[in-house]
Formats: sequence, C-alpha cells, structure tokens
Amino acid sequence: MLLHILNRSPATSEVYRQALAAMGPDDRLLLIEDGVQGALKGLVGRFGDVRGRLLALEEDLAARGLEPLCDDSVVRVDVEGFVTLTEEARKTVSWF
Amino acid sequence: MRYGILLMGAPYSSQAAHSALRFARAVAGRGHRLEAVFFYHEGVHNAARLAAPPQDEPHLVDGWAALSADHGVPLQVCIAAALRRGLLDEREAARHGKQGHSVEPPFELTGLGQLVDLGLRCDRLVTFGP
Repeated sequence: MLLHILNRSPATSEVYRQALAAMGPDDRLLLIEDGVQGALKGLVGRFGDVRGRLLALEEDLAARGLEPLCDDSVVRVDVEGFVTLTEEARKTVSWF
Repeated sequence: MRYGILLMGAPYSSQAAHSALRFARAVAGRGHRLEAVFFYHEGVHNAARLAAPPQDEPHLVDGWAALSADHGVPLQVCIAAALRRGLLDEREAARHGKQGHSVEPPFELTGLGQLVDLGLRCDRLVTFGP
C-alpha cells in the first residue's frame, strides 16, 4: 500500500487526476493543505473510486474553517494519524 | 523507523515548510529516528540566517534549529540550490569573495548525493512540495 499525499485543491489544479491515475487498488490518498478542499461535499465526487481510502488532515481543515463542510465519507486524521499512515504505507508519493 | 524529509517549499510562500515542520515534530515525538531534513529548490530559503519575521508569527528558521537541537536532526541544504539564491555559509562566502554569510549551523550546505543517501538509508522519505 502506498500513501499518496495531495496538497492542491481539485478546484484549482488538475494534478489530482494524475494522483488518481497512479493509485493502486489498496493505496490511500491523504489531502493536506489546500488539498483538503477536495473533502468538501461539492468536490469529493472528483475522487469517485477512492471513497473509503480518502483521508483529510484535520489541522488543515480546521485552519480553513472547513470542518463543518467535510463530507462524511472522508476519514479525518490529525498529524499523529498522518505519521501512522506513513508507518503503514510501504512508501509515500507527494503530488503538488 | 528511520525517516527523512525532503522540503522544496520556501517559508511564507506556501504552506510546505509549516507542514514539514509539524510533521517532523510529530515523527520525532513518536520516537522515530529522523535521519535528516533535506532542503531543496526554494526550500533552501528555510536556512536563511537573517530571516526576521514578525514576533507574533511562527519563526520557521528558528523552528528548524530547535528541532535539530531537541532531536539531533541534521539540516542539510542543497549547496547548488543555495548558492544561486544567495544562501552561503562562512566558507562559501569567503570562497566567493562575499561580505557576510546567510547560512549558519545547524544548517549545513551539502551535495545532492546526501539526498540520494537519505533515500537509501531511510525507511520512509516524505516530500513536502510547494
């Protein structure tokens, strides 16, 4: 399992498409920084097949006041959880 | 586990440096060994000795130095990326005939080979891009 890390909003960057294309069936996708916008109800659909394996960094959601708008299907993790995800993954891949 | 961090974002230009420092603290806090932080591309500006942000804002340069002091983390700065951006330690400043220097320990100017070595030595290498 690889951990993919995306820091760009799907509303402003197309790089999320490359991340999705590169993901294996067990890989996880963690949204950080402006990437957390992808967790919003209006944008989460862009990540169609990844539901259940889509995560968002709690601190970056909170910093933007977006917690109330986060879709229920997105798993929220704090920075400790971020570290745990990297422990569990064989490698990490950052998309920016 | 042995971790390495690659930081390619300049301080205050993007969130990358904040994200990387926060992640680095969490890694060290969980008892992992952070082998090094490698500063590359615009990330070399994190080593700017003369950075003087407003006092009520996070001081990233000092933050990295504190991480190094607390956990013995080497702070490796790509020398090729640094020199062309005006980031020189005392030795390089003397070598290039410059007055003053802009990089000081615990930051160290190193070659790109150190990044390759970091990738080989670490169980996990996590990149923070701009």
